[in-house]
Amino acid sequence: MLDETVSRSPPSTARSTSGAYRLLQGRFRLEVRQQLPVWQRVGITAGAILFGLVICGLILVTAGVSASNLVEEFIIQILFDPQNLRAVLFQAAPLILVGLGASLAFRARFWNLGIEGQMIWGGIAAAATSIYHIGPDRLRLGLMTAAAILAAMLWVAIPASLKLTYRVNEIISTLLLNYIASYFLFHLLYGPWKDPGDSFPHSSQFATVERLPDIGPHLNIALPLAISLVALAWWLLHVSRAGLHLKFIHANASMAQVLGVPIKTATFMAVLLSGALSGLSGLVIVSGMEGRLTLGFYEGYGFSGILIAFLARNDPISATIVAFLVAMLFIAGQSLQIFYQIPFSMVELIQAIIVMCVAASEFFVRHRLHWHS
Amino acid sequence: MTAALELRGIRKSFGDFLVLNDADFTVEIGSVHALLGENGAGKSSLMNVAAGLYCPDAGSVNIDGVEIRLSGPRDAKAHRIGMVHQNFKLVKRFTVAENVLLANPRPSTRVGLTEIEALIRRHAETLGFEIDPRRQVSTLSVAEQQRAEIIKVLIAGARFLILDEPSAVLTDHEAERLLTTVREIAQAGAAVVLVTHKLSEVMRFADRVTVMRGGRTLAMLEPKSTSREDLTMLTVGTTIVAPRRSSRPARGSPRISVTGLECARDGRSMLAGTGFFVHSEEIYGIAGVGGNGQGELVEALMGVRLANAGTVAIRHEDGRTIDVTHASPAMRRDLGFAVIPADREALGLAGSLSVAENFAIGQIHDGRYGSWARVNRTKMRDDTATAVDAFDIHGVRSTLQRASLLSGGNAQKLVLAREFSRNPSIVIAHSPTRGLDVRACAAVHERVLAARAAGAAVLLISEDLDEILGLCDRVGVMTRGRIVAEFEAPIDRQMVGRAMVDHA
Repeated sequence: MLDETVSRSPPSTARSTSGAYRLLQGRFRLEVRQQLPVWQRVGITAGAILFGLVICGLILVTAGVSASNLVEEFIIQILFDPQNLRAVLFQAAPLILVGLGASLAFRARFWNLGIEGQMIWGGIAAAATSIYHIGPDRLRLGLMTAAAILAAMLWVAIPASLKLTYRVNEIISTLLLNYIASYFLFHLLYGPWKDPGDSFPHSSQFATVERLPDIGPHLNIALPLAISLVALAWWLLHVSRAGLHLKFIHANASMAQVLGVPIKTATFMAVLLSGALSGLSGLVIVSGMEGRLTLGFYEGYGFSGILIAFLARNDPISATIVAFLVAMLFIAGQSLQIFYQIPFSMVELIQAIIVMCVAASEFFVRHRLHWHS
Repeated sequence: MTAALELRGIRKSFGDFLVLNDADFTVEIGSVHALLGENGAGKSSLMNVAAGLYCPDAGSVNIDGVEIRLSGPRDAKAHRIGMVHQNFKLVKRFTVAENVLLANPRPSTRVGLTEIEALIRRHAETLGFEIDPRRQVSTLSVAEQQRAEIIKVLIAGARFLILDEPSAVLTDHEAERLLTTVREIAQAGAAVVLVTHKLSEVMRFADRVTVMRGGRTLAMLEPKSTSREDLTMLTVGTTIVAPRRSSRPARGSPRISVTGLECARDGRSMLAGTGFFVHSEEIYGIAGVGGNGQGELVEALMGVRLANAGTVAIRHEDGRTIDVTHASPAMRRDLGFAVIPADREALGLAGSLSVAENFAIGQIHDGRYGSWARVNRTKMRDDTATAVDAFDIHGVRSTLQRASLLSGGNAQKLVLAREFSRNPSIVIAHSPTRGLDVRACAAVHERVLAARAAGAAVLLISEDLDEILGLCDRVGVMTRGRIVAEFEAPIDRQMVGRAMVDHA
């Protein structure tokens, strides 16, 4: 009885595999890698970055930078010109901070896309402390720092508690809170906090005691501060018990819950720290670089922070290295802007291309190609 | 000569690991051919070669003596080879008919769907299946999904039907029904390969059996003229004695008591007044068809699901009674709870972390591995190495190796090592041997019995009646979120089975 049903409907002989695919298939074989030594992984990532840089170079050449100037602008100028080197060291501190901040949040599987919003609140709180002359001069800078950290933590506490109590998707909440923060900043700068001196939309200049002090010819205090926070983050993630908890939350949250890992507390703390670092980064820019609250002081840092965390695989020390590279890119971008009228968004384009190349290189981390002769 | 699918001298390796080593296998039309072996013997790998999923490094696949080349499942389908995988390949949000259509494309989706629906109904009728082609797959039970898979493969025109561990997800009764149907399919002019590690299925339903061990095919036999003992010897290499429960120890006082537990999921009541108690030095089994609230009960006992009503209370070592209904998982662990969850990948281990980390996380809160400021990794690794030896966990080259590299049985032993090193007073084990081979099963059972001997109250929730009957001192039958009947050892299998069916 079943013979008929079994032999019914002739087998399909159609092949959907395209000719090109089969041609390739004949030439090499794809294998899944079991594991990969660290140096090979680093090599693949470096190769991807290099590949991305070549693409970026081609784009810059089409945009009007001559190929010979490319090396000059990106390498010689940046590394051997003391002025530029100072700028890179200046630029690195806030980037390290946002990179660390993003890494911490990502380790807890919290997609903090609100770094810029938290930076804005850090800047606003620091500026408020300056504008309203809160506390004695001696303590002013300390109070500004504390205010910046606190305000940013409060701002990130909103999406964090929404996620942990009502499971509100933090990707959306953190992103949208950025707009609220930036429009509030616009309101302040076009309104009550507008500089009475020149009527431009920025706050009046901070007093000297309200600015981050220099500790050397090429250095202000922000960089050593950022580096010591890197060490602290390294301890937190790799030595402390909380770091092990975060590892389990990242690897398998439901298993961690069953085993009694305090998921909510650990996640909440990691996210608060992430916000605190973003807020501190806002302070470093406002008080260390700009010297006043400006309109777009935070622009590009949110994306850069995510990029740094991604390329560094959420590791504090790698994040520091990547942050220095991004700082070089920032400075090079500024000079491109000045000398070639290339918009600063080119820097973001370069970043994006490199991210895509590294993300795509993950394929070669997981697979191996075997060539047939 | 009868038509046959023949695999000759198949060799396949992944990296340095040789999974198939010169494996031979032949199945003829009209017969059910069992492929027997322990986990990791290479059964599924060999069948994946036949289904075109793996490309062998050496060897040939022949149909009726003619060598064929399979570069993908599409080729296998063209040669009328169909495989029903252990993890079903169905789109959950599609209906049964849509899934079948996806695998058997028609020029017009709309017309094709009507045609497919009719085909499904016809097949279902001849096979004695009840299946509604318009039901969404996610609303089907596991057994129903399996039927959909079989029909899907048959509609594709399969003459060689490969079933990978088909009874693993089924109850006794369902498995019986399925295997009877499978015999009919074979008799109607198909060749059926039954991949299994269950001897009883081979003895009852297979015409022939090929035994595999360590990537090799050892022998092809006729079950009728072979003894169970011989087959076991071939499969395992040595004879394994299943651990036996000692006679009932002096019964302690109730250690944990659950009363009137109520729980709902997605608005559906899953626990409706569940109540039972477990003594110290006792194994209490909960038998029943899966999906009757077992999962929710375990979650409520682990502390990850909130009960709407009812209480869970335990008697502490110092004699106090403590209400733990709302206690967090961490508090429960402090009070001596140990959990062996059914879903090892999801709840038992973090596969991307190291063996040492997976082991130590169980005791990190006691301060055994350093204070909050510093985790003592050396001690973590030393303890893990000791436990790896004590619990006979194989495949651990380094305690820093990722846990996901362990095979099923060894991964489960790692879970056992973590949970039992703490000398728990209350053990909650949910299907602790699901998907494990004979050897690993025996190891798990031994540990459960040892925990009982050490004075723990053990709650064993399982759909495997043999396991329940072999280990438990008392058994409760769970149906629709309630314990509907209780039995004391010695337990009559028939009576438990009847209780499961009567109250359904």
